[in-house]
Amino acid sequence: MATRASEISVGVPALAPERAVRWPKRTRARLSNGLQVVLAEAHSIPKFHGELFLRAGEALVSDRSTGLAEMTATVVRTGTVKRTSRRIEEDLRRLGADLGTTAGQDTSAISFAGLSEFREPLLRLVNELAREASFPEAEFERERRQKLEEVKLERTSPGFLAGERLRKVLFGAHPYARVSPTEDQVAAYKREDLNEVYRDIYTPENAFLILVGDFEPQAMLKTIEGTFGNWTGAKPAAKEFPAPTQLRGRRVYLVHNPGSVQTQILAGCHAITRKHPDWIRLGLTNSLYGGAFNSRLVMNIREDKGYTYSPRSGVTPLRQRGYFSVSAAVRNDVVAASLTEIFYELDKLRSLPVPEQELADAKNYLTGVFSLGLATQEGLLSQYSASELNELPDDYLETYRDKVRALTPADLQATARKYLDSANMQIVVVGDRAQIEEQAALFGELEVYDAQGKRLQA
Amino acid sequence: MTQPQIPVQSTTLQNGLRVVIAPDATAPVVTVGVYYKIGFRLEPQGRSGFAHLFEHMMFQGSENAPKMQHIKLINSSGGVLNGSTMYDVTNYYEAVPSNALERVLWLEADRMRALKVDDENLRNQRDVVKEEVRVNVLNQPYGGFPWLDMPPVAFRNWANAHNFYGDFADLDAASLMDVQKFFRTYYVPNNAVLLILGDVNPQEGFASAEKYFAPIPAGAAPPFADPAEPPQKEERRGYVEEKFGTLPAMAIGYVVPQRLTKEWHAMGLLDQALHGGRAGRIYRELVLEKQIAVEADGGIDDLFGYNGPTQMTTRIMHKPEYSAEETLAAFDEVLREVREKGITEDELEQLKVKWRSDYYSTLEGGRGGYMPRYGLMHLLACFALFDNQPELVNTIQAGFSKATREEIQTAARKYLVPENRAIVFRTPVDKKEKEAA
Repeated sequence: MATRASEISVGVPALAPERAVRWPKRTRARLSNGLQVVLAEAHSIPKFHGELFLRAGEALVSDRSTGLAEMTATVVRTGTVKRTSRRIEEDLRRLGADLGTTAGQDTSAISFAGLSEFREPLLRLVNELAREASFPEAEFERERRQKLEEVKLERTSPGFLAGERLRKVLFGAHPYARVSPTEDQVAAYKREDLNEVYRDIYTPENAFLILVGDFEPQAMLKTIEGTFGNWTGAKPAAKEFPAPTQLRGRRVYLVHNPGSVQTQILAGCHAITRKHPDWIRLGLTNSLYGGAFNSRLVMNIREDKGYTYSPRSGVTPLRQRGYFSVSAAVRNDVVAASLTEIFYELDKLRSLPVPEQELADAKNYLTGVFSLGLATQEGLLSQYSASELNELPDDYLETYRDKVRALTPADLQATARKYLDSANMQIVVVGDRAQIEEQAALFGELEVYDAQGKRLQA
Repeated sequence: MTQPQIPVQSTTLQNGLRVVIAPDATAPVVTVGVYYKIGFRLEPQGRSGFAHLFEHMMFQGSENAPKMQHIKLINSSGGVLNGSTMYDVTNYYEAVPSNALERVLWLEADRMRALKVDDENLRNQRDVVKEEVRVNVLNQPYGGFPWLDMPPVAFRNWANAHNFYGDFADLDAASLMDVQKFFRTYYVPNNAVLLILGDVNPQEGFASAEKYFAPIPAGAAPPFADPAEPPQKEERRGYVEEKFGTLPAMAIGYVVPQRLTKEWHAMGLLDQALHGGRAGRIYRELVLEKQIAVEADGGIDDLFGYNGPTQMTTRIMHKPEYSAEETLAAFDEVLREVREKGITEDELEQLKVKWRSDYYSTLEGGRGGYMPRYGLMHLLACFALFDNQPELVNTIQAGFSKATREEIQTAARKYLVPENRAIVFRTPVDKKEKEAA
């Protein structure tokens, strides 16, 4: 590693002066019923992309069951008082549109994209789904039956099993601990449960509509007022949940997946939300660690040692809590070796200042990649959505690059010491127990589970 | 019907390298791609998986940019990069702030001119590729289904029928000499196209292309194995064990017409009538109406990106209480209906609108917004390498908007027949047996 890293390139052309990065102006409005609207022009193609976000998801209704917000979203697209399921799908195709309905822990959403020439009928359909979903009994029954097969199937995916276990470990009694329902929970879903979630969450006071694309904002705003203006409904009361327990010391959770020919590693610790003032510095620290192709972890366990194809790290910002995690699917015989390097790189960032050149490179990476999204409607939509959903300052996008550039090696080291909590990382390994248990046990007290989540004797 | 108006300019350098530029200064971002006309279909026998392993080697160092420098130079310029191996092409691409254009061109030219790798790099990437195969295929439910399962069942010519990710024994047998030979044979400028899209002044772009790429000597015209298939006379079936998953699955593939023909345009729309999401006939019947299947999707994977025998493939996962034969019978019923009655006028109109809309998204997209114009790059490259007409990107749509109900029904009658298809059944192993073993 050391000899290789010192190799340099010869004759690399310098970077030319940078062209200014300008974010298209956003038009903001709030309708009298409370619906927030954000519009931005982007004329790259004669289409537009949009999302109708509802600011609540699984967490809000987690006391009723798990996965109800997602099931509600799924059934929302299967019928309204005016249109059958089949009609909805054909109408979408007639408008050249794509549409998806989803829910996560903190939001539900209707996402859509279509040709600008059909913006009015598409928005009318979105409006119908948000206000007049009829939850047809037969459609609900079919989707519930499908979901039963899905929850059985997901337990065969190493990535799912690892993510599920880490969330359980980190969040305990907090709703964020539950990523997917059990078969029994799905079997017990009632149509009325969905209706109730729909009434609570899908209201204009709880919603915001964001559109990016080929349209004129003032005309679009009129269309939106005409379409969504008489929607009514109050915001559901927010719920606070007790903070999860801070875990002390490393522990290892082995999920036994018989017959695995590879081991999925996923280790994590609590971190911060998107709104936290340290978000940008943690983002830069993460990109140095394992968030970029050129990062230390990727160079070490992929490009130098060949243990894995796709190592990566990231910060997952849920609304109330965020967590840092690092993952790699590795050869069974190098589980201990991979974990050793994962911790070596964490500890190195915590103990030694980042060399100036490496820091400059990482800043360039983060600021450059931040603007790649400017070139597409989808890219703009995702930046604007994140900014609005997290109620970031108005100038967040415009000042982001300067804030990244101002960071020093001391800032990064302090950030690593605060959030890359090496000593208290919770380590999940998913694989064939017989091949990896001894290696895993070297890193902390071991608990063993089967793929159904049942604890096995260690 | 309006057509896209992408400003496409192209030229060919003395050494045979094609250069295509499509300027658009909306955002200060430029996408660069280099496509080589070699994919896994044409890799050498006894070296399955080699085209893909070789793609990895292209990131391992060149004369003036040693190992780790390729990735580092792009990332530290504020950009992202990747490569992928397909049936008939291999691509390398970067999206960067436009002030890094010269640097990217220098880097692509350096590795086209003088790849410089050693045994250690090869061992390293062989290990990485094996983990890639494990994470995507061997350790995943339905891994490789059906893209790796289908070719050996459907095809008889080794070029089309072998394991594209590579048997581990073949990967182990690959030597540095193989790497060098493959590089000298296929990675010559006269077998490639360079694409520069986005924030570029075309004149400057062509001048830079000339500056960095013109000194690379042309090579001999590469030999290509003939991918033609012997005529198929019967339905073909294959069976694969599913080690992890809980649901029985099947894939049904029909060989499609040759690219750019009238039949091919009709087939493109027929594909959308059958697949095309929740409105598609197959999903509607099998999942929504009869409720036999949990998933039913598929289609022609990359309509514009093939230059040899290709299938339209439907992938179905069905409920365990239905047998494979019952499921297949329901699928056959959908196809019989299209053969006998064709599609409706209203349906065709819907399909054409959706087609146009999807095409715009393809041009812009995307990969989630962080690889702008990936789709445009891919289309320009394939139209340049296979058809020698990058401008097709602006006119190809006309053929789809003109397709008629009669042409679509004729295509269905000719192509959606048993003697033109192959079926792979991927069936979960008995869990009790597995636990006892």
